[in-house]
Amino acid sequence: MQKINKNVVLALLSLTSLVFLLFQLYYYKFYLSQKNGAVFSKVRGSQSGQDSTRWHVVRKFLGLISSHNIPVYLIDPLILGLVDKDIEQIRSSPDGPSPECKYFCAPRDFTTFALLDKTWKHEVGLFRTAEKMGFQWLKILNKDPRLDGMDDLSGIEIPLHYIFKLASHAIHLVVFYERSGNYLWHGPLRLKQHMDRKFVPFRKLHFGRYPGAYEKPELLLVSIDDLKVQIPKNPSSFLEEMSHSRFLECRYREARAFFQLYPDDASVDAVEFRKKAKSLLHLAALTLNNLGVKFWLSSGTCLGWYRQCNVIPHSKDVDLGVFIKDYKADIIPAFQKAGLPLKHKFGKVEDSLELSFQGEDDVKLDIFFFYEEDDHIWNGGTQAKSGKKFKYLFPKFTLCWTEFVELKVHVPCETRQYVEANYGPDWKVPVKTWDWKSSPSNVQYNGVWPVNEWDDVIQIY
Amino acid sequence: MDEWKPNPAIKPHKKRSWYLAWKYKLMNQRALRKLCQTGAVLFLLVTVIVNIKLILDTRRAAYEEEEESAQDYDDEMLNVEVPRHPVSNKKVLDVEVYSSRSKVYVAVDGTTVLEDEAREQGRGIHVIVLNQATGHVMAKRVFDTYSPHEDEAMVLFLNMVARGRILIFTIKDEGSFHLKDTAKNVLKSLGSQVAPFLSWRDMWTFVGKKGGEVYGEKHAKSPALSTWGDPVLLKTEVHLTSVEDAECRWPDTELNHRRKRFCSKVEGYGSVCSCKDPTPIEFNPDPLKDNKVFDVPVAVIAGNRPNYLYRMLRSLLSAQGVNPQMITVFIDGYYEEPMDVVELFGLSGIQHTPISIKNARVSQHYKASLTATFNLFPDAKFAVVLEEDLDISVDFFSFLSQSIHLLEEDESLYCVSAWNDQGYEHTAEDPSLLYRVETMPGLGWVLRKSLYKDELEPKWPTPEKLWDWDMWMRMPEQRKGRECIIPDVSRSYHFGIVGLNMNGYFHEAYFKKHKFNTVPNVQLKNVESLRKDAYEAEIHRLLGEAEVLDHSKNACEDSFVPDTEGRVYVMFIRMEQEADFTTWTQLAKCLHIWDLDVRGNHKGLWRLFRKKNHFLVVGVPASPYSSKKPSSVTPIYIEPPAKEEGAVA
Repeated sequence: MQKINKNVVLALLSLTSLVFLLFQLYYYKFYLSQKNGAVFSKVRGSQSGQDSTRWHVVRKFLGLISSHNIPVYLIDPLILGLVDKDIEQIRSSPDGPSPECKYFCAPRDFTTFALLDKTWKHEVGLFRTAEKMGFQWLKILNKDPRLDGMDDLSGIEIPLHYIFKLASHAIHLVVFYERSGNYLWHGPLRLKQHMDRKFVPFRKLHFGRYPGAYEKPELLLVSIDDLKVQIPKNPSSFLEEMSHSRFLECRYREARAFFQLYPDDASVDAVEFRKKAKSLLHLAALTLNNLGVKFWLSSGTCLGWYRQCNVIPHSKDVDLGVFIKDYKADIIPAFQKAGLPLKHKFGKVEDSLELSFQGEDDVKLDIFFFYEEDDHIWNGGTQAKSGKKFKYLFPKFTLCWTEFVELKVHVPCETRQYVEANYGPDWKVPVKTWDWKSSPSNVQYNGVWPVNEWDDVIQIY
Repeated sequence: MDEWKPNPAIKPHKKRSWYLAWKYKLMNQRALRKLCQTGAVLFLLVTVIVNIKLILDTRRAAYEEEEESAQDYDDEMLNVEVPRHPVSNKKVLDVEVYSSRSKVYVAVDGTTVLEDEAREQGRGIHVIVLNQATGHVMAKRVFDTYSPHEDEAMVLFLNMVARGRILIFTIKDEGSFHLKDTAKNVLKSLGSQVAPFLSWRDMWTFVGKKGGEVYGEKHAKSPALSTWGDPVLLKTEVHLTSVEDAECRWPDTELNHRRKRFCSKVEGYGSVCSCKDPTPIEFNPDPLKDNKVFDVPVAVIAGNRPNYLYRMLRSLLSAQGVNPQMITVFIDGYYEEPMDVVELFGLSGIQHTPISIKNARVSQHYKASLTATFNLFPDAKFAVVLEEDLDISVDFFSFLSQSIHLLEEDESLYCVSAWNDQGYEHTAEDPSLLYRVETMPGLGWVLRKSLYKDELEPKWPTPEKLWDWDMWMRMPEQRKGRECIIPDVSRSYHFGIVGLNMNGYFHEAYFKKHKFNTVPNVQLKNVESLRKDAYEAEIHRLLGEAEVLDHSKNACEDSFVPDTEGRVYVMFIRMEQEADFTTWTQLAKCLHIWDLDVRGNHKGLWRLFRKKNHFLVVGVPASPYSSKKPSSVTPIYIEPPAKEEGAVA
């Protein structure tokens, strides 16, 4: 009897410990899955590596926003990349049930959606419903850049990003604002001190490191993985746009400091010149954008943007830069068609090309072509009467978007280096007399055009 | 199970026994038993290992996460959080109230909440309302009860204050001369013993709870007519109640959250904060069919007149076709209370650091507001500009929706305005009638973006120029001969009595009797004939059918116009050249319409109503319409009285 008793006790204890062990294993697995994102049992997708948590969270989120009539669209670069490969098929069968979960099941921390600010009313109800559905949410506010140029206005802070977290997956909702210049803008994601830094792995976000500028996208309603979502009509061009969407805000505070030191010229002439320069710039931007030629603000126009967020009234022309690889023979006829006749053409495509167009009333549009070398970028200048060549050297730069006179345009991201290369360390001091052959601090003498080429490389109209 | 926690010391032994167990298994039953024992122990061992691994993994994961914590995304500016005032659990407030001839002050818990020692200012009874739960100042008013009617305003105000609030009174200089019995009785009902006997130049302080206890009262009688009572200083304690007691129990809705926030901060807005059946703060007026101004931003220009703003926003949000999302209130200065009002209605508000002084300050505020409006709504082609002291007609947006396309299509137009300068009760009649005028009336108007961006903004008067923005906009350099469209019956009503260019007398004389449309959905009848050329044809047709009045009679007399209805009459006045308004000004004076400068003219023609007849005034010979004058008629000339300077608003 005793023996049996002892055995029974032992068996019971073993069983308990087995149960205990199983529980521990289960808990461990649960914990791991939470880390990698698989809290729900695999309802969809039997293949390994698939993760239905994400699919469920996205579906819940889409349900949430559609119940509040908020139109969002998918901008997740990883999903759009996958979608782009099958875009024809997706477009042709917008409603077909998908055999497998292809897009929303890859285990990721985030799925990114975009929201146009003006399409919703900031109802608090959304967040209440979200909480009821089990979402935790985070709102990232910041200053309204549309009022940033106006120091004396204390605008309300506007929401730039929302993050909705459910279980192991989070939805990153980027708020896009329409700005002067007919483009969309999203803000940077910056955490305030009191915010929870571990709410989600912020580093893995695809949007928010920098502010960005985008064209207004055309949208397409598609059904992928049995979820109806809006996506940009052309995902590949959206992804391309995203890759260089970084936006620089004008340095309004510095500009105000500048105007404190050097009061703005409010004379009739200055007002008139600014108006003309603005319309010339708008016309040039339209023409070059239609041709698909990438350009940026250069020289004096760039300095005006960087230093005072405005056209420098005594600059008397508008300067643009274009990489020589983007040169198109159509540029000259296109400008002529737009009512801007060629004034002069210096250099040739292979060397030191520079075009000038005649705008309204003596306002000139200069387009400088830039040549990339291994460690620097340069553009050329030519003195018409002597055939002398000059070279202006710049450190390498990339292009960023900015807003200037109600226009979305490129400027070099490394603007300060660019401006300093051109105007030296004293660029902050306005100079009214400027000699393009000697004043720039980055000018180099570059020989003389051979006389037999003069007819080609020095054309004045 | 605790006793099964394995002892590491016996581990090797157990391992051996596990091996031995296999050996003994075949030999006897005991071995099996031992095997089971060992098995159980082993299970537990594994459990422990798994446990430890779990702990380690969790730790590592947590550590990694910490590493990852988005440094890139940190706000660059380490905005140091301003430590909030610790929530004081104190239940008692120390209140000090001082009353004297030249100075009053009120301090709550050592913080001065009112101090007024300015000369020639702040005479009368100062009233402060405190929240009975938090001790915060909810309202501050001064009623100059030395002057007539101010006591009525005070009674009105005190009646609006919710029960339970703490009221503090103090007199500066003189507060009894026009303090009538009604007001004295109200003060008495609040618990004041002295109020009924307050007399000339007495000093008085009083602290009490509305509808409750009295915390203290002090009084110093003036010994003689020529002297003031001695200064009095009242020090007392006020017991705070719990927050729940200080709030109403409204249903838990989004709207009531806003209401609650508002009502716990400010006082003096009447029924919006009443516990039983409060006035709505959401209006849901009927939408307009085919609303062409639904997407037009509305800029409300405001200063520190929160009660005005409250009244204005109520009427604006009640107008048919309003789109609250397009409304932005621009507040000139960092005033809290106007912002509270804006938030009460769920609108967005922007505060503006004051630049410059007086008129230039207003002008800079306008510029900033307009620029911001077009920045915030980059798609907008127009903006509606309103001020905080306007009532908005119920068909305001309907009126704009029907007329705004003219502003888009007709280059000769400067603005569409809801205000007719000459539209008084006795001179305006037809809500469906529109005019073209050469003057810009303002007071509720639509601005074209291109006009602002291309012309006005770049040369807007700079802060050092003390100009009125509206006067500047009326200057020929800006207006360039363009005209505004106005209705015969105004769609806005100017109710402001206090203001930069405004006082009670001025308001009574020029604004009080202004006609204001209250009819909804008025169908405008002559919209297309408002275009430049069509309007000329219209005027010629009108003049053609108009009966010429008897020019031998006195134009100022009522009998000048026959006792008819619905007829068109014309009179001719002398107007030597385009800028000669001598007779017009005199006529305007005797007709009791706007006479401070010339308003409402179109090429030397004024259109208004007299005795319900359309009444045209043509200036001869300056007006091109002079040709319509029969040769027998001599234009009327009215001699101006001896030179007298009139203020111009």
